[in-house]
Amino acid sequence: MSVKLQKFVKATLLLTVLSLVLAACGSKTAQDGANSLEKIKKAGTIRIGLMGTYAPYNFLNEKHEVDGFDADVAKEVAKRLGVKVEFITGEFSGLIEGLQKDKYDALVSQVTITDDRKKTMDFSTPYVKNAVNVIVKSDNTAIKSIDDFKGKKIGVGLGTNDEKYLRDVVMPKVGNFNIATYNDVITSLKDLNVGRIDATINNVFAIKPLIEKNHFTVKAVGEPIKEDFAGIAIRKNNPELLDAINKALDEMKTDGTFKEIFHKWFDVDPNI
Amino acid sequence: MELVFKNFQFLLTGAYYTLLLTVVPMFFGLIIGIIVAIARLKGNVLVRNLAKGYVSLIRGTPILVQIFIVYYGLPDFGITLGPLTAAFISLSINVGAYLSETFRGAILSVPNGQSEAAFSLGLTPWQTMRRVVLPQAARVAIPPMGNTFIGMLKETSLVSIVTVTELLRSAQLLVAQYYVAMPFFVAIALMYWVMSVSFSFILNRIEARLAKAY
Repeated sequence: MSVKLQKFVKATLLLTVLSLVLAACGSKTAQDGANSLEKIKKAGTIRIGLMGTYAPYNFLNEKHEVDGFDADVAKEVAKRLGVKVEFITGEFSGLIEGLQKDKYDALVSQVTITDDRKKTMDFSTPYVKNAVNVIVKSDNTAIKSIDDFKGKKIGVGLGTNDEKYLRDVVMPKVGNFNIATYNDVITSLKDLNVGRIDATINNVFAIKPLIEKNHFTVKAVGEPIKEDFAGIAIRKNNPELLDAINKALDEMKTDGTFKEIFHKWFDVDPNI
Repeated sequence: MELVFKNFQFLLTGAYYTLLLTVVPMFFGLIIGIIVAIARLKGNVLVRNLAKGYVSLIRGTPILVQIFIVYYGLPDFGITLGPLTAAFISLSINVGAYLSETFRGAILSVPNGQSEAAFSLGLTPWQTMRRVVLPQAARVAIPPMGNTFIGMLKETSLVSIVTVTELLRSAQLLVAQYYVAMPFFVAIALMYWVMSVSFSFILNRIEARLAKAY
Protein backbone atom coordinates (compact mmCIF):
# COMPACT_ATOMS: atom_id res chain seq x y z
CA MET A 1 0.00 0.00 0.00
CA SER A 2 2.69 2.49 1.04
CA VAL A 3 4.78 1.65 -1.98
CA LYS A 4 1.84 2.42 -4.21
CA LEU A 5 1.31 5.66 -2.37
CA GLN A 6 4.98 6.57 -2.66
CA LYS A 7 4.93 5.81 -6.36
CA PHE A 8 1.81 7.86 -6.74
CA VAL A 9 3.28 10.81 -4.87
CA LYS A 10 6.50 10.49 -6.83
CA ALA A 11 4.66 10.34 -10.10
CA THR A 12 2.43 13.27 -9.24
CA LEU A 13 5.39 15.36 -8.16
CA LEU A 14 7.25 14.50 -11.30
CA LEU A 15 4.28 15.24 -13.48
CA THR A 16 3.79 18.59 -11.81
CA VAL A 17 7.43 19.50 -12.19
CA LEU A 18 7.46 18.29 -15.76
CA SER A 19 4.33 20.14 -16.77
CA LEU A 20 5.54 23.31 -15.06
CA VAL A 21 9.10 23.38 -16.36
CA LEU A 22 9.07 21.34 -19.54
CA ALA A 23 5.92 22.27 -21.34
CA ALA A 24 7.34 20.90 -24.57
CA CYS A 25 7.97 17.46 -23.16
CA GLY A 26 4.64 15.77 -23.78
CA SER A 27 5.55 12.25 -24.85
CA LYS A 28 7.64 11.14 -21.89
CA THR A 29 6.16 8.49 -19.64
CA ALA A 30 6.83 9.14 -16.02
CA GLN A 31 6.76 5.49 -15.01
CA ASP A 32 10.25 4.84 -13.75
CA GLY A 33 11.24 8.42 -13.19
CA ALA A 34 13.73 8.45 -16.04
CA ASN A 35 13.44 6.08 -18.95
CA SER A 36 15.17 2.73 -18.77
CA LEU A 37 17.68 3.42 -21.50
CA GLU A 38 18.95 6.58 -19.80
CA LYS A 39 19.15 4.78 -16.47
CA ILE A 40 21.14 1.93 -18.00
CA LYS A 41 23.54 4.30 -19.74
CA LYS A 42 23.98 6.26 -16.53
CA ALA A 43 24.73 3.12 -14.54
CA GLY A 44 27.05 1.90 -17.27
CA THR A 45 25.70 -1.65 -16.99
CA ILE A 46 22.63 -3.48 -18.21
CA ARG A 47 21.27 -6.13 -15.84
CA ILE A 48 20.33 -9.24 -17.77
CA GLY A 49 18.21 -11.94 -16.17
CA LEU A 50 18.60 -15.55 -17.33
CA MET A 51 18.21 -19.06 -15.99
CA GLY A 52 21.79 -20.23 -16.23
CA THR A 53 20.65 -23.86 -16.32
CA TYR A 54 19.61 -24.24 -19.94
CA ALA A 55 22.53 -25.33 -22.11
CA PRO A 56 23.38 -24.40 -24.81
CA TYR A 57 21.35 -21.21 -24.45
CA ASN A 58 22.55 -20.06 -21.06
CA PHE A 59 24.61 -22.02 -18.56
CA LEU A 60 27.63 -21.73 -16.30
CA ASN A 61 30.86 -22.78 -18.00
CA GLU A 62 33.95 -24.31 -16.36
CA LYS A 63 34.98 -20.92 -15.04
CA HIS A 64 31.52 -20.56 -13.50
CA GLU A 65 30.76 -17.66 -15.80
CA VAL A 66 27.45 -17.34 -17.59
CA ASP A 67 27.96 -18.59 -21.11
CA GLY A 68 25.91 -19.75 -24.07
CA PHE A 69 23.92 -18.48 -27.01
CA ASP A 70 21.74 -16.14 -24.94
CA ALA A 71 24.76 -14.81 -23.08
CA ASP A 72 26.60 -14.04 -26.32
CA VAL A 73 23.58 -12.26 -27.78
CA ALA A 74 23.19 -10.22 -24.58
CA LYS A 75 26.88 -9.29 -24.54
CA GLU A 76 26.74 -8.08 -28.15
CA VAL A 77 23.60 -6.02 -27.54
CA ALA A 78 25.19 -4.45 -24.46
CA LYS A 79 28.31 -3.64 -26.44
CA ARG A 80 26.24 -1.80 -29.01
CA LEU A 81 24.40 0.10 -26.29
CA GLY A 82 27.83 1.12 -24.99
CA VAL A 83 27.40 -0.50 -21.57
CA LYS A 84 28.79 -3.44 -19.64
CA VAL A 85 26.65 -6.48 -19.02
CA GLU A 86 25.77 -7.94 -15.64
CA PHE A 87 24.22 -11.41 -15.63
CA ILE A 88 21.84 -12.36 -12.85
CA THR A 89 20.67 -15.98 -12.82
CA GLY A 90 17.41 -17.26 -11.40
CA GLU A 91 14.48 -19.63 -11.80
CA PHE A 92 12.42 -18.91 -14.89
CA SER A 93 9.24 -18.04 -13.00
CA GLY A 94 11.23 -15.69 -10.79
CA LEU A 95 12.75 -13.98 -13.83
CA ILE A 96 9.43 -12.70 -15.10
CA GLU A 97 8.51 -11.50 -11.62
CA GLY A 98 11.93 -9.89 -11.18
CA LEU A 99 11.69 -8.00 -14.44
CA GLN A 100 8.49 -6.30 -13.27
CA LYS A 101 10.10 -5.54 -9.92
CA ASP A 102 13.06 -3.82 -11.62
CA LYS A 103 15.57 -6.49 -10.57
CA TYR A 104 16.61 -6.85 -14.21
CA ASP A 105 16.60 -4.46 -17.14
CA ALA A 106 15.99 -7.22 -19.67
CA LEU A 107 15.55 -10.99 -19.88
CA VAL A 108 17.58 -12.92 -22.43
CA SER A 109 16.62 -16.46 -21.47
CA GLN A 110 14.66 -18.09 -24.28
CA VAL A 111 11.54 -16.20 -23.29
CA THR A 112 9.06 -17.40 -25.92
CA ILE A 113 7.02 -14.58 -27.39
CA THR A 114 3.35 -15.24 -26.63
CA ASP A 115 0.26 -13.03 -26.71
CA ASP A 116 -0.26 -13.60 -23.00
CA ARG A 117 3.21 -12.40 -22.15
CA LYS A 118 2.91 -9.41 -24.46
CA LYS A 119 0.28 -8.09 -22.06
CA THR A 120 2.80 -7.76 -19.25
CA MET A 121 6.08 -7.10 -21.07
CA ASP A 122 7.51 -5.87 -24.33
CA PHE A 123 9.56 -8.04 -26.66
CA SER A 124 12.35 -7.18 -29.05
CA THR A 125 12.30 -8.59 -32.56
CA PRO A 126 12.83 -12.37 -32.28
CA TYR A 127 16.48 -13.39 -32.03
CA VAL A 128 16.07 -17.17 -32.38
CA LYS A 129 13.52 -19.65 -33.73
CA ASN A 130 13.23 -22.89 -31.80
CA ALA A 131 11.88 -25.86 -33.69
CA VAL A 132 10.44 -28.95 -32.02
CA ASN A 133 11.15 -32.01 -34.14
CA VAL A 134 10.58 -35.74 -34.07
CA ILE A 135 13.84 -37.37 -32.93
CA VAL A 136 14.56 -41.02 -33.79
CA LYS A 137 17.50 -43.42 -33.80
CA SER A 138 19.85 -42.73 -36.70
CA ASP A 139 19.08 -46.02 -38.45
CA ASN A 140 15.31 -45.69 -38.07
CA THR A 141 13.47 -45.44 -41.37
CA ALA A 142 9.98 -46.36 -40.11
CA ILE A 143 9.20 -43.05 -38.43
CA LYS A 144 9.37 -39.95 -40.57
CA SER A 145 6.83 -37.76 -38.81
CA ILE A 146 4.21 -37.79 -36.04
CA ASP A 147 1.87 -39.60 -38.46
CA ASP A 148 3.93 -42.76 -37.97
CA PHE A 149 3.50 -42.84 -34.18
CA LYS A 150 0.59 -45.30 -34.13
CA GLY A 151 1.36 -48.32 -31.94
CA LYS A 152 4.86 -47.04 -31.18
CA LYS A 153 6.42 -46.03 -27.87
CA ILE A 154 7.11 -42.31 -27.64
CA GLY A 155 9.12 -40.63 -24.89
CA VAL A 156 8.36 -37.16 -23.56
CA GLY A 157 9.01 -35.00 -20.50
CA LEU A 158 6.32 -35.31 -17.82
CA GLY A 159 4.07 -32.27 -17.57
CA THR A 160 5.65 -30.48 -20.52
CA ASN A 161 3.80 -28.75 -23.33
CA ASP A 162 5.07 -31.51 -25.56
CA GLU A 163 3.34 -34.17 -23.46
CA LYS A 164 0.07 -32.26 -23.62
CA TYR A 165 0.50 -31.90 -27.34
CA LEU A 166 1.06 -35.64 -27.82
CA ARG A 167 -2.00 -36.53 -25.74
CA ASP A 168 -4.44 -33.90 -26.95
CA VAL A 169 -3.41 -33.34 -30.54
CA VAL A 170 -1.38 -36.22 -31.95
CA MET A 171 -3.16 -39.18 -30.37
CA PRO A 172 -6.66 -38.32 -31.62
CA LYS A 173 -5.16 -37.66 -35.04
CA VAL A 174 -2.94 -40.69 -35.70
CA GLY A 175 -4.34 -43.37 -33.38
CA ASN A 176 -3.16 -44.83 -30.08
CA PHE A 177 0.47 -45.09 -29.07
CA ASN A 178 2.34 -45.57 -25.79
CA ILE A 179 3.69 -42.54 -24.00
CA ALA A 180 6.67 -42.98 -21.69
CA THR A 181 7.21 -40.00 -19.39
CA TYR A 182 10.64 -38.81 -18.24
CA ASN A 183 11.79 -36.39 -15.58
CA ASP A 184 14.56 -34.99 -17.72
CA VAL A 185 15.73 -34.84 -21.29
CA ILE A 186 18.92 -36.84 -20.90
CA THR A 187 17.17 -40.02 -19.75
CA SER A 188 14.68 -39.86 -22.61
CA LEU A 189 17.52 -39.55 -25.12
CA LYS A 190 19.40 -42.39 -23.46
CA ASP A 191 16.37 -44.65 -23.80
CA LEU A 192 15.94 -43.63 -27.42
CA ASN A 193 19.59 -44.39 -28.05
CA VAL A 194 19.28 -47.82 -26.42
CA GLY A 195 16.09 -48.51 -28.34
CA ARG A 196 13.65 -48.73 -25.45
CA ILE A 197 11.51 -46.06 -27.06
CA ASP A 198 10.91 -45.51 -30.76
CA ALA A 199 10.90 -41.72 -30.86
CA THR A 200 10.76 -38.56 -28.80
CA ILE A 201 9.93 -34.96 -29.63
CA ASN A 202 12.19 -32.15 -28.55
CA ASN A 203 13.83 -28.84 -29.34
CA VAL A 204 16.70 -29.64 -31.67
CA PHE A 205 19.01 -26.87 -30.44
CA ALA A 206 18.48 -27.71 -26.79
CA ILE A 207 19.42 -31.38 -27.12
CA LYS A 208 22.43 -30.81 -29.36
CA PRO A 209 25.04 -30.65 -26.56
CA LEU A 210 23.51 -33.71 -24.86
CA ILE A 211 23.77 -35.72 -28.06
CA GLU A 212 27.36 -34.65 -28.64
CA LYS A 213 28.57 -35.24 -25.08
CA ASN A 214 27.00 -38.68 -24.84
CA HIS A 215 27.67 -39.76 -28.43
CA PHE A 216 24.04 -40.67 -29.01
CA THR A 217 23.26 -41.87 -32.51
CA VAL A 218 19.95 -40.11 -33.06
CA LYS A 219 18.60 -37.75 -35.70
CA ALA A 220 15.79 -35.27 -36.23
CA VAL A 221 13.33 -36.18 -38.97
CA GLY A 222 10.61 -34.46 -40.95
CA GLU A 223 9.26 -30.98 -40.73
CA PRO A 224 9.23 -29.15 -37.37
CA ILE A 225 6.11 -29.90 -35.33
CA LYS A 226 5.97 -26.39 -34.03
CA GLU A 227 8.15 -23.31 -33.99
CA ASP A 228 8.56 -20.85 -31.16
CA PHE A 229 10.22 -17.48 -31.34
CA ALA A 230 12.20 -16.07 -28.45
CA GLY A 231 12.82 -12.37 -27.92
CA ILE A 232 14.51 -10.10 -25.44
CA ALA A 233 11.91 -9.15 -22.84
CA ILE A 234 11.79 -5.74 -21.15
CA ARG A 235 9.33 -3.84 -18.97
CA LYS A 236 6.44 -2.20 -20.76
CA ASN A 237 6.49 1.45 -21.79
CA ASN A 238 10.19 1.78 -22.49
CA PRO A 239 10.15 2.57 -26.22
CA GLU A 240 13.66 4.07 -26.15
CA LEU A 241 15.22 0.91 -24.73
CA LEU A 242 13.20 -1.31 -27.05
CA ASP A 243 14.31 0.70 -30.09
CA ALA A 244 17.93 0.60 -28.97
CA ILE A 245 17.82 -3.18 -28.50
CA ASN A 246 16.10 -3.73 -31.83
CA LYS A 247 18.65 -1.52 -33.55
CA ALA A 248 21.47 -3.51 -31.99
CA LEU A 249 19.90 -6.80 -33.09
CA ASP A 250 19.40 -5.48 -36.62
CA GLU A 251 23.04 -4.42 -36.84
CA MET A 252 24.14 -7.84 -35.61
CA LYS A 253 22.03 -9.53 -38.25
CA THR A 254 23.45 -7.45 -41.06
CA ASP A 255 27.12 -7.32 -40.07
CA GLY A 256 27.59 -11.05 -39.59
CA THR A 257 27.96 -11.07 -35.80
CA PHE A 258 24.69 -12.94 -35.50
CA LYS A 259 25.84 -15.57 -37.94
CA GLU A 260 28.99 -16.09 -35.91
CA ILE A 261 27.04 -16.63 -32.72
CA PHE A 262 24.69 -19.09 -34.42
CA HIS A 263 27.57 -21.07 -35.87
CA LYS A 264 29.41 -21.08 -32.56
CA TRP A 265 26.50 -22.67 -30.69
CA PHE A 266 24.33 -24.47 -33.25
CA ASP A 267 26.52 -25.00 -36.35
CA VAL A 268 23.80 -23.55 -38.57
CA ASP A 269 23.02 -20.26 -40.27
CA PRO A 270 20.67 -17.92 -38.40
CA ASN A 271 17.10 -19.14 -38.81
CA ILE A 272 15.51 -15.78 -38.32
CA MET B 1 -13.59 -35.33 -6.77
CA GLU B 2 -15.46 -36.53 -9.88
CA LEU B 3 -12.14 -36.18 -11.69
CA VAL B 4 -10.87 -39.01 -9.51
CA PHE B 5 -13.84 -41.23 -10.32
CA LYS B 6 -13.50 -40.46 -13.99
CA ASN B 7 -9.89 -41.58 -13.92
CA PHE B 8 -10.29 -44.33 -11.34
CA GLN B 9 -9.49 -47.03 -13.87
CA PHE B 10 -6.24 -45.26 -14.67
CA LEU B 11 -5.29 -44.99 -11.01
CA LEU B 12 -6.17 -48.63 -10.44
CA THR B 13 -3.80 -49.64 -13.21
CA GLY B 14 -1.14 -47.67 -11.38
CA ALA B 15 -2.06 -49.39 -8.12
CA TYR B 16 -1.79 -52.77 -9.85
CA TYR B 17 1.78 -52.00 -10.89
CA THR B 18 2.61 -50.75 -7.41
CA LEU B 19 1.32 -54.00 -5.97
CA LEU B 20 3.18 -56.06 -8.55
CA LEU B 21 6.37 -54.12 -7.85
CA THR B 22 5.98 -54.89 -4.15
CA VAL B 23 5.02 -58.55 -4.30
CA VAL B 24 7.50 -59.80 -6.90
CA PRO B 25 10.61 -58.19 -5.34
CA MET B 26 9.38 -59.34 -1.92
CA PHE B 27 9.36 -62.94 -3.09
CA PHE B 28 12.84 -62.76 -4.58
CA GLY B 29 14.03 -60.55 -1.75
CA LEU B 30 13.01 -63.24 0.74
CA ILE B 31 15.10 -65.82 -1.08
CA ILE B 32 18.08 -63.46 -1.40
CA GLY B 33 17.68 -62.41 2.22
CA ILE B 34 17.74 -65.96 3.59
CA ILE B 35 20.71 -66.97 1.46
CA VAL B 36 22.71 -63.87 2.39
CA ALA B 37 21.86 -64.19 6.08
CA ILE B 38 23.03 -67.81 6.18
CA ALA B 39 26.10 -66.90 4.12
CA ARG B 40 27.02 -64.24 6.66
CA LEU B 41 26.59 -66.60 9.61
CA LYS B 42 27.88 -69.89 8.30
CA GLY B 43 30.01 -69.08 5.25
CA ASN B 44 33.79 -69.13 5.06
CA VAL B 45 35.74 -65.88 5.22
CA LEU B 46 35.36 -65.07 1.52
CA VAL B 47 31.62 -65.78 1.34
CA ARG B 48 31.05 -63.93 4.57
CA ASN B 49 32.86 -60.82 3.36
CA LEU B 50 31.12 -60.91 -0.02
CA ALA B 51 27.76 -60.98 1.70
CA LYS B 52 28.87 -58.24 4.07
CA GLY B 53 30.00 -56.05 1.18
CA TYR B 54 26.75 -56.54 -0.68
CA VAL B 55 24.62 -55.56 2.30
CA SER B 56 26.79 -52.57 3.06
CA LEU B 57 26.73 -51.31 -0.53
CA ILE B 58 22.99 -51.66 -0.98
CA ARG B 59 22.05 -50.22 2.40
CA GLY B 60 24.53 -47.40 2.00
CA THR B 61 23.25 -46.02 -1.31
CA PRO B 62 19.87 -44.50 -2.21
CA ILE B 63 17.50 -46.91 -3.94
CA LEU B 64 16.85 -44.31 -6.61
CA VAL B 65 20.52 -44.43 -7.57
CA GLN B 66 20.42 -48.24 -7.70
CA ILE B 67 17.41 -48.24 -10.01
CA PHE B 68 19.01 -45.62 -12.20
CA ILE B 69 22.25 -47.59 -12.52
CA VAL B 70 20.49 -50.86 -13.34
CA TYR B 71 18.32 -49.25 -16.00
CA TYR B 72 20.47 -46.55 -17.55
CA GLY B 73 23.95 -47.80 -16.66
CA LEU B 74 23.83 -51.44 -17.73
CA PRO B 75 23.11 -50.70 -21.43
CA ASP B 76 26.68 -49.37 -21.64
CA PHE B 77 27.77 -52.96 -20.93
CA GLY B 78 25.37 -54.42 -23.46
CA ILE B 79 22.62 -55.37 -20.98
CA THR B 80 19.38 -53.64 -21.92
CA LEU B 81 16.51 -54.45 -19.61
CA GLY B 82 12.89 -53.47 -20.01
CA PRO B 83 11.51 -50.96 -17.51
CA LEU B 84 9.60 -53.55 -15.46
CA THR B 85 12.42 -56.09 -15.46
CA ALA B 86 14.90 -53.45 -14.34
CA ALA B 87 12.54 -52.37 -11.58
CA PHE B 88 12.01 -55.95 -10.39
CA ILE B 89 15.73 -56.67 -10.34
CA SER B 90 16.82 -53.51 -8.56
CA LEU B 91 14.03 -53.69 -5.99
CA SER B 92 14.70 -57.39 -5.29
CA ILE B 93 18.39 -56.74 -4.77
CA ASN B 94 17.55 -53.83 -2.51
CA VAL B 95 14.94 -55.50 -0.36
CA GLY B 96 17.08 -58.66 -0.16
CA ALA B 97 19.84 -56.72 1.60
CA TYR B 98 17.48 -55.29 4.19
CA LEU B 99 15.75 -58.62 4.80
CA SER B 100 19.08 -60.41 5.19
CA GLU B 101 19.80 -58.25 8.23
CA THR B 102 16.36 -59.00 9.63
CA PHE B 103 16.92 -62.73 9.18
CA ARG B 104 20.43 -62.62 10.56
CA GLY B 105 19.14 -61.01 13.73
CA ALA B 106 16.28 -63.49 13.91
CA ILE B 107 18.57 -66.50 13.47
CA LEU B 108 20.92 -65.17 16.14
CA SER B 109 17.99 -64.76 18.49
CA VAL B 110 17.44 -68.52 18.55
CA PRO B 111 19.38 -69.77 21.61
CA ASN B 112 22.55 -71.73 20.91
CA GLY B 113 21.26 -74.59 23.04
CA GLN B 114 18.72 -75.38 20.33
CA SER B 115 21.43 -76.12 17.77
CA GLU B 116 23.49 -78.03 20.33
CA ALA B 117 20.52 -80.16 21.26
CA ALA B 118 19.84 -80.85 17.57
CA PHE B 119 23.46 -81.82 16.93
CA SER B 120 23.40 -84.19 19.94
CA LEU B 121 20.40 -85.93 18.37
CA GLY B 122 22.56 -86.52 15.29
CA LEU B 123 20.99 -83.90 12.96
CA THR B 124 23.25 -82.52 10.25
CA PRO B 125 23.97 -78.75 10.27
CA TRP B 126 21.59 -78.31 7.32
CA GLN B 127 18.79 -80.24 9.05
CA THR B 128 19.37 -78.25 12.19
CA MET B 129 19.04 -75.00 10.25
CA ARG B 130 15.93 -76.12 8.39
CA ARG B 131 14.01 -77.93 11.11
CA VAL B 132 15.09 -76.30 14.32
CA VAL B 133 16.56 -72.83 13.87
CA LEU B 134 14.67 -71.32 10.89
CA PRO B 135 11.14 -72.13 12.12
CA GLN B 136 11.88 -70.37 15.39
CA ALA B 137 13.65 -67.49 13.67
CA ALA B 138 10.71 -66.97 11.30
CA ARG B 139 8.47 -65.93 14.18
CA VAL B 140 10.93 -63.32 15.35
CA ALA B 141 11.44 -62.03 11.82
CA ILE B 142 7.81 -61.32 11.01
CA PRO B 143 7.35 -57.87 12.62
CA PRO B 144 10.51 -56.30 11.17
CA MET B 145 9.68 -57.96 7.83
CA GLY B 146 6.33 -56.22 7.88
CA ASN B 147 8.22 -52.98 8.35
CA THR B 148 10.39 -53.67 5.32
CA PHE B 149 7.41 -54.63 3.14
CA ILE B 150 5.40 -51.55 3.94
CA GLY B 151 8.48 -49.44 3.33
CA MET B 152 8.87 -51.24 0.01
CA LEU B 153 5.31 -50.50 -1.01
CA LYS B 154 6.08 -46.79 -0.84
CA GLU B 155 9.54 -47.03 -2.33
CA THR B 156 8.01 -48.46 -5.50
CA SER B 157 7.07 -44.89 -6.38
CA LEU B 158 10.72 -44.32 -7.24
CA VAL B 159 10.59 -46.64 -10.24
CA SER B 160 8.75 -43.99 -12.22
CA ILE B 161 12.23 -42.79 -13.11
CA VAL B 162 12.50 -45.77 -15.44
CA THR B 163 9.14 -44.98 -17.07
CA VAL B 164 7.07 -47.49 -15.12
CA THR B 165 3.73 -45.83 -14.52
CA GLU B 166 2.97 -46.91 -10.95
CA LEU B 167 0.48 -45.30 -8.61
CA LEU B 168 2.30 -42.06 -7.81
CA ARG B 169 3.27 -41.53 -11.44
CA SER B 170 -0.28 -42.07 -12.65
CA ALA B 171 -1.37 -39.34 -10.24
CA GLN B 172 1.38 -37.04 -11.51
CA LEU B 173 0.26 -37.69 -15.06
CA LEU B 174 -3.30 -36.76 -14.19
CA VAL B 175 -2.11 -33.63 -12.39
CA ALA B 176 -0.22 -32.61 -15.51
CA GLN B 177 -3.38 -33.20 -17.53
CA TYR B 178 -5.97 -31.40 -15.38
CA TYR B 179 -3.86 -28.83 -13.49
CA VAL B 180 -5.39 -29.87 -10.16
CA ALA B 181 -3.36 -31.86 -7.70
CA MET B 182 -5.08 -32.34 -4.37
CA PRO B 183 -7.90 -34.78 -5.24
CA PHE B 184 -5.51 -37.13 -7.02
CA PHE B 185 -2.98 -37.11 -4.22
CA VAL B 186 -5.63 -37.69 -1.59
CA ALA B 187 -6.97 -40.58 -3.68
CA ILE B 188 -3.62 -42.28 -4.03
CA ALA B 189 -2.81 -41.70 -0.37
CA LEU B 190 -5.93 -43.70 0.46
CA MET B 191 -4.99 -46.37 -2.06
CA TYR B 192 -1.51 -46.74 -0.61
CA TRP B 193 -2.98 -46.93 2.85
CA VAL B 194 -5.49 -49.62 1.90
CA MET B 195 -2.67 -51.66 0.39
CA SER B 196 -0.43 -51.38 3.43
CA VAL B 197 -3.28 -52.23 5.77
CA SER B 198 -3.97 -55.40 3.77
CA PHE B 199 -0.29 -56.31 3.98
CA SER B 200 -0.29 -55.84 7.74
CA PHE B 201 -3.42 -57.96 8.01
CA ILE B 202 -1.87 -60.83 6.05
CA LEU B 203 1.34 -60.68 8.07
CA ASN B 204 -0.57 -60.69 11.33
CA ARG B 205 -2.38 -63.83 10.22
CA ILE B 206 0.90 -65.50 9.37
CA GLU B 207 2.33 -64.50 12.73
CA ALA B 208 -0.67 -65.94 14.55
CA ARG B 209 -0.37 -69.18 12.59
CA LEU B 210 3.33 -69.52 13.41
CA ALA B 211 2.68 -68.87 17.09
CA LYS B 212 0.30 -71.85 17.27
CA ALA B 213 3.17 -74.32 17.48
CA TYR B 214 3.91 -73.09 20.99
